Amino acid sequence: MFLAMMTDADALSRSTPDAEPVPVPSRTADSREAAARRWVVEHGDILWKFALARTRAKEAAEEIVQETVLAAMQGYGTFAGGSSERTWLLGIAAHKIADHFRRERRAKSPSSPPISPDATCVCATCRGMFTGKGMWACVAGTWPEMHLSEAEKSEQAEALRACIDALPPGQSEAVWLRDILGIPAGEVCKAMGLTDTNLWSRMHRARVALRSCLEAKFGLRKEKAK
Amino acid sequence: MIRFVRGMVRVLRMPCREHVALLSRQLDAPLSRGEAFGLRVHIVYCGGCRRFREHLRHMQSLGRTLAEQAENEPGLPADVRERLNARVTRGSKKN
Repeated sequence: MFLAMMTDADALSRSTPDAEPVPVPSRTADSREAAARRWVVEHGDILWKFALARTRAKEAAEEIVQETVLAAMQGYGTFAGGSSERTWLLGIAAHKIADHFRRERRAKSPSSPPISPDATCVCATCRGMFTGKGMWACVAGTWPEMHLSEAEKSEQAEALRACIDALPPGQSEAVWLRDILGIPAGEVCKAMGLTDTNLWSRMHRARVALRSCLEAKFGLRKEKAK
Repeated sequence: MIRFVRGMVRVLRMPCREHVALLSRQLDAPLSRGEAFGLRVHIVYCGGCRRFREHLRHMQSLGRTLAEQAENEPGLPADVRERLNARVTRGSKKN
């Protein structure tokens, strides 16, 4: 598993002195270059898989990995070692991916706005998820069978991927780091420069939006809450 | 004990909108024992929140499928690695 792989790699990097997430004393061009070469060896695969999974285009993934490593070289002196080096790099990659999607969205026609939490949560007799008092206004239907065949699971996972792509860039990267790659919340906060509360509210908004989006994709009808 | 009861009562008095936010927060940070218990009690009698929790679990499971798919992709291709190392050398000389 991705997560298991990350944990193993982190454990490995902690056990080797040259991989400690502590900045070297002298940040000369040479030491930055040496660090960057090591990142390519140790973290190149995971950065590539992350970028490729998000963009699904090799050219774009290559550009993102290159930009990530170059940006990390520039910011090498600012890496305080609060999170693992891998999470730090993934955080930079997440920003680069978000930039990529922002550029892509600007280039597209305005006919594909990002989804909002309540956009698809409408039924014939109710609007929005909750009433003014915060109680359920409409209750979602039962989702397709939870015990799925591999093919059905892949199909639904693909639907989830499309829904994540439709989230605002800052949210989709947080979802990838936290819910897909399984990076601990504290590390995601450090990597993305968020407070705990920021992350919780961002993740909550994203999960609500994803749920609505998936319901629309599964073609479910909601019923007015009784 | 008092803290536990306070946390539980506070959660039980919340509207569903806030229960849903707690269900999500629980995935990122542990709730206090009182809050967690209050939420479990609420879920017993609230069909809407129970379904929301099921949906969150289902999405987490689909997320694991996406992670497995990503992991099964081949790693950094040799030509990309080569170009990346060349960029590192150029980037280093620029600074």
